Amino acid sequence: MTGRTISGVHNRALALIDRWVQKYSALVVVLVAAFLVVFIYGMVTAPNFLTVFNFKTIIRDAALVGIMAIGLTFVTLSGNFFLLSMKETAALCIIAFATSMSLGYGFPISFLFTMAIALLAGAMQGLLIGLGGNPIVVTLGAAGLFFGLGSWWSDNLVLSFRRPHGAEWLGTGSLFGLPNITIAFILIAIAAEMTLRYTTFGRQVYLIGANRAAGKATGHENLSMAIKVCIIASVCSAFVAVAFSAQVSSAHVNYFSSEFGSSGDMTIMVIATVMVGGNSIMGGFGSTLRSSLGAIFISTVDNMMVLHGFNSGPRVLAVGLMIVFSIIVFALLRRGSRALE
Amino acid sequence: MQSSLQLSNIHRSFSAIHALKGVDFEVGSGEIMGLVGENGAGKSTLVKIISGFDDEYIGTYRFNGKPVRFPTPARAERAGIAVAQQEISLIPSMSVAENISLVGDHVPVIATKRALGKRANRFLEEVGLGNVDPHMATNRLSIGEQQLVEVARLLSHEPQVLIFDEPTAALGESDSQRILGMVKRLAANGKSVVYVSHRLDEIFEICDRITVLRDGEGQEPRKTSELNVHSLVELMLGRELTNMFPAHAPVTGRKPLLEVNELWPDGALEPFSFNALPGEILGLAGQLGSGSGDVLSAIAGARRSRTGTITFGGRSFLPKSPKEAIAAGIAYCSDDRKLDGLFLGRPIRENMTSPALSAIARFGLLTLPGERRLARGNAEKFTVDVERLGNEVGLMSGGNQQKVALGKWLAIRPKVMLVNEPTRGVDVGARAEIYRILRDLADGGAAIVFASTDLQEMVGLADRIVTFYRGMQIGEIQFEDISATKILEQITQPFGAAHAAQASGT
Repeated sequence: MTGRTISGVHNRALALIDRWVQKYSALVVVLVAAFLVVFIYGMVTAPNFLTVFNFKTIIRDAALVGIMAIGLTFVTLSGNFFLLSMKETAALCIIAFATSMSLGYGFPISFLFTMAIALLAGAMQGLLIGLGGNPIVVTLGAAGLFFGLGSWWSDNLVLSFRRPHGAEWLGTGSLFGLPNITIAFILIAIAAEMTLRYTTFGRQVYLIGANRAAGKATGHENLSMAIKVCIIASVCSAFVAVAFSAQVSSAHVNYFSSEFGSSGDMTIMVIATVMVGGNSIMGGFGSTLRSSLGAIFISTVDNMMVLHGFNSGPRVLAVGLMIVFSIIVFALLRRGSRALE
Repeated sequence: MQSSLQLSNIHRSFSAIHALKGVDFEVGSGEIMGLVGENGAGKSTLVKIISGFDDEYIGTYRFNGKPVRFPTPARAERAGIAVAQQEISLIPSMSVAENISLVGDHVPVIATKRALGKRANRFLEEVGLGNVDPHMATNRLSIGEQQLVEVARLLSHEPQVLIFDEPTAALGESDSQRILGMVKRLAANGKSVVYVSHRLDEIFEICDRITVLRDGEGQEPRKTSELNVHSLVELMLGRELTNMFPAHAPVTGRKPLLEVNELWPDGALEPFSFNALPGEILGLAGQLGSGSGDVLSAIAGARRSRTGTITFGGRSFLPKSPKEAIAAGIAYCSDDRKLDGLFLGRPIRENMTSPALSAIARFGLLTLPGERRLARGNAEKFTVDVERLGNEVGLMSGGNQQKVALGKWLAIRPKVMLVNEPTRGVDVGARAEIYRILRDLADGGAAIVFASTDLQEMVGLADRIVTFYRGMQIGEIQFEDISATKILEQITQPFGAAHAAQASGT
């Protein structure tokens, strides 16, 4: 009797999972399951894990990487691979912002100035990629250029600006107990996902990413697309640079290379986030929502490792393993869904 | 006749789809067995089972009377069953002889070029390439010749059964003839041949018997002599196909909708000029490499041209990109749907509306109900299952994919529709639908220009024909003069024909 009930529940659960897999694609289900495993493990083993404070920490840590990853996701989805200059763009922008702030121009002007630089940086890379340049070569070159400009401009020194500087609200402020940067992350994530789903531009991102030749044949050219997505990624980088600078009231070109987060390299963290989210590296399949979840997932794992007292070596290793794992799962699931071909 | 290969009561399911429902199949030695059916009827699935690519079936498989089961293609090949794939898998930079001896049981570990050449010669002769130097680099051969080399390589494993899956799909007339000749020779030498094709003329030319698959169900093999094209198509469709080609009448006395003026596409020998009338289906006939397809892509801005313009909608211009052509109302469907006709990983719905995003958007925002309506309407016209609009196009059969590749252009309400090879790799049923829709479009006032290497299609569909030969424009055939012989004359030996036309004309 009991046995039958249990198997009934079991069957119903299986049917439910089956329905979810069909509705939300197996990858999302696997990601959610992985997240739950980490979550429960954290709950059981680390007493500080399941606190409101710690959750806010996790999401706040995810925010900066997450915002950049959302920007980069547009590039990846459109089939233009990755920008390897994410952290150097941020480095140049943080110097630009801090310089402008320390000269007393105030937050609004400094912000716009920084964004203008990001726009130029993105447009330049997008133009070269759109004209047929290899994204790896173009963005590696751009990375060197931006980092060099940033160090030259700042003489490789830490630039600081005095409080109150009018940007505290972005760096350290909060609303209803949520850090403003977390709110910004959530708003950007929603706006990006809406853009992809409900605008002509978003649809073009998917179409060109799925098949560039067919995109051209149906009137959607990659040149303007490459420029647009590179600008989006650059501007997201710049936004993170501004937010980080506002938080620490200073700037240095190395902030995103060595002293940031667990893995030490912002570009790699951002690419990892896009990959762990399960976006197709070839383009045409994925979403910014996946990248946002990827950021939170990585941040959760990282947070748990911190609570368990791991230092940075194993934490970098964990990020690497997550990338490998997600790529394998992704490849397997995509192949599974093509069985009928 | 003793059958060398015998499968009985084969079932195969892919999750919810029952692809084969108790199929029987056999081939005798020295026999050519045709395997025909619509796309999705189960031909590929059956071929995969026979050749060891698919081991998850239910049923019995006997080879030379003994029950067998091949878990991998390599095992089937060792037993003597070889498949000539549609895609050529030769290594282009290696010589013909090296390609033939790439793998196999009797390949010496260390061999001189001479020894390899000698070994290759035997098999080359068998496929009718006796005149080819075995030391030549493979990429210097024509596609048809490469296909023959591929078969020579299979022969080097001494197979007993050979399976050909659409061997002539990508070939022109003369290369196709070589393949057919070779297949007949192989059978005469005692090999068993399974021949899968959509081209019914070939099936009738070479097959001894024909097995028809329909919706995963097999039928008794029939002698070719007991069938004709009509009855075979009926068996494939399960209903009568009254008319493959919709009825049409000559279009005259109208002002041209599209004029092509001295347009010189890259790769052609000379500029081309012709025009298309509204309501007309104009056929561009020519073999592969004749330039008949290139001129279509040049009109659509997908290929560069040296000189020339088109006159359309009251102005003379030349689209620099497909985007410009689309904006003017010119749709172009290339001959390679996987390359640039479809977004395989995206849903059918998004494919259907891809050229007309502005039609379903307001201020850059997509109106999803509008998109559904547009996609649904055009899918219905092409009899694409509207319940599957959310599925990836890559999961559909070839015929349905082609319907989507073409159907998406309805979204821009084209005034000129350019189609290169409208029905390549498409089954009879889907083919008839495609012809009907092109005719409907023309009747609605559009000008349709299509290029094709399929003679039957050219004769049945075109209202008027312009012929091409090796990058030159040869002549024009009016409605009442259209016949296969006339076309063939102009696209294969035009200089004799052109002189004759000059003598009899004017």
